[in-house]
Amino acid sequence: MSQAEPQTPVPVVAARNLCKTYQLGEQQVHALRDVSFEIHRGEFVAIMGPSGSGKSTLMNMIGALDVPTSGQLAIDGTDIGSLSRDELAALRNHTIGFVFQQFNLLARTSALDNVKLPLTYSRPRVADPEAIARRCLEQVGLGARMDHVPSQLSGGQQQRVAIARALVNSPSLILADEPTGALDSATSLEILQLFESLNAQGMTIIMVTHELDVAAHARRLLRVRDGKLVEDAPVNSPPAEVAA
Amino acid sequence: MTLAEFIATAMIALRRNVLRSVLTTLGIIIGVGSVIVMSAIGTGASKQIEAQIASLGTNQLTIFPGSMNVGGRQGGAGSAPPLTEKDLRAIRENVTGLVAAAGNMNGSATVVVGNTNWQTQINGSSAEIQAVRDWPLTSGRFYDAVEAAAGRKVAVLGATVARELYGEADPVGTNVRLNNVPFEVIGVLSVKGQAGGRDQDDVIIVPLATARSRLVGRVRVPDEIGQILVKVDDRYEVSEVQADLERVLRQRRRVAPNAMDNFSVRNFAEFLATRDATARTLSLLLASAAAISLIVGGIGIMNIMLVSVTERTREIGLRMAIGASGSDILGQFLTEAVLLCLAGGFIGLTLGAGVSILISTLFGWPVYISPAVVLMAIFASASVGVIFGFVPARRASQLNPIEALRYE
Ligand SMILES: Nc1ncnc2c1ncn2[C@@H]1O[C@H](COP(=O)(O)OP(=O)(O)OP(=O)(O)O)[C@@H](O)[C@H]1O
Ligand SMILES: [Mg+2]
Repeated sequence: MSQAEPQTPVPVVAARNLCKTYQLGEQQVHALRDVSFEIHRGEFVAIMGPSGSGKSTLMNMIGALDVPTSGQLAIDGTDIGSLSRDELAALRNHTIGFVFQQFNLLARTSALDNVKLPLTYSRPRVADPEAIARRCLEQVGLGARMDHVPSQLSGGQQQRVAIARALVNSPSLILADEPTGALDSATSLEILQLFESLNAQGMTIIMVTHELDVAAHARRLLRVRDGKLVEDAPVNSPPAEVAA
Repeated sequence: MTLAEFIATAMIALRRNVLRSVLTTLGIIIGVGSVIVMSAIGTGASKQIEAQIASLGTNQLTIFPGSMNVGGRQGGAGSAPPLTEKDLRAIRENVTGLVAAAGNMNGSATVVVGNTNWQTQINGSSAEIQAVRDWPLTSGRFYDAVEAAAGRKVAVLGATVARELYGEADPVGTNVRLNNVPFEVIGVLSVKGQAGGRDQDDVIIVPLATARSRLVGRVRVPDEIGQILVKVDDRYEVSEVQADLERVLRQRRRVAPNAMDNFSVRNFAEFLATRDATARTLSLLLASAAAISLIVGGIGIMNIMLVSVTERTREIGLRMAIGASGSDILGQFLTEAVLLCLAGGFIGLTLGAGVSILISTLFGWPVYISPAVVLMAIFASASVGVIFGFVPARRASQLNPIEALRYE
């Protein structure tokens, strides 16, 4: 990240003393405790940690699907704690692209229509959703499969459609919760390389993973344990062309 | 989302399970269908009765000999003294508020023209009958009082008789034989249509005196009249004129103060109006009973929509994650429910119309599907969609996106 240009100083994600507590009957579950960090434009961050450590909880809040119990979380400078349900929905629509482990594509709906879907919820309406969706599908290498429905696509191709869908609103960041969890290792690699190339074009990506060699494709690693941020470091084996 | 997108999305969802969609709307189909059939039969019956009322004239009274028993049927005509020309004259001279009064006797005759035969009803009537019954001619003229009194053998043909015997040709000036007696045709009446299940145009009108002497069988007194028909002036109350008429007739026919009338005065239009009201009430009742099945249909819609919301929890979560607001989700499921109900409504409408036409052709009942009922059926099915779709749609819109996304 060179800061020679007059870039916006506002971080894409800014968490300050972030806490999330779930109430399970009498019992309180502290899913996140006092987490603080910043993520800037163009970063590729992996989040790791044991099961139940709070990774998904953190991703849900960064994705504006949930609000903190205490502390602040600002997405693109907007404090999500102060937003209503519908304002959160609008923020997700404009700012965030989700990629899920299970792809979550609409069945019996063409790749093109799946990718177009976020644009139908955009306000103000975009001029030519079809053209944008086509461009995004071409960007993920599925220009020839636009009319295929999910059942006619391989797992890797379905995940590409999901990534195209995440890109279609030109989001500030892409959130991927175990994006390769349902894929074999060869396909996983393709998806990770797609992420790398998107990141190389300037896209901010945050990715949750259990596997170190998946995290190795990111450039920064956050480790969580018991709801606490225990490590924040650059990834020590960066891909070759970046090191050059 | 725009309305077009809502509809497109809903169509995809509904097409995904066509059989279920159709079964779901069965209640609506049956509800709307039976409302249509009930109202088509009811409105058809009442329209027919109204047409009859219009053709009879609302201010026409008919006097029969004999008293009236319960239910409006005349009884004891045989024992009571017949109506006579004297009764008719007394009415003309003493009852105020009448436009005209006419005597009438019914018979039947075989009409022969050339070698064509036709069996028809004969009305032997005073010349005033035309004024009483408000019956214009399409050709020729009516006989006048002088011709009637002279017992001339002239005949005025009803439209059906003229058509059956002459086709398109004009019968005026030709001769017909009624029970072998030659009559000169002087006029043809305009079409009046059906009344009380009988074709009013299948008739020949001849002077009363002529009918009495040549066409009607035995008469009990030489100046017997079968019925007296009067037309009440618009400026007078029909009921008041009727009371006056009864008073005059009681006096004239010497009915003792406490005795029953030996004649009866009937207002056919009023009688039919009562039947009309009954038909309307009955059809309204049946239609409302059918409408209840719309509610049952609505509950079916609600049930399936709740199932659908549960089945599609993940889809709802995904839509929320990519930016659908609560109202987007609400709109999506409401549109589905309304489309389902509208589709059911249209199918019900078509089936109902088909069954109505079938009933009409099979049983010869008059049916009428009014545009108002069609609009109401469409509106009602859309309303059922909104009302019963609301609870499931609202439930969908209030799902927590995180839990919805995790739903298996
Ligand atoms: N809705 C909830 N209600 C109560 N407790 C919850 C809820 N969601 C998460 N938790 C708890 O919060 C803690 C963190 O959960 P989280 O899903 O964030 O873990 P994770 O790091 O994503 O785990 P995994 O790697 O298995 O996905 C867990 O102890 C979990 O049981
Ligand atoms: Mg998780």
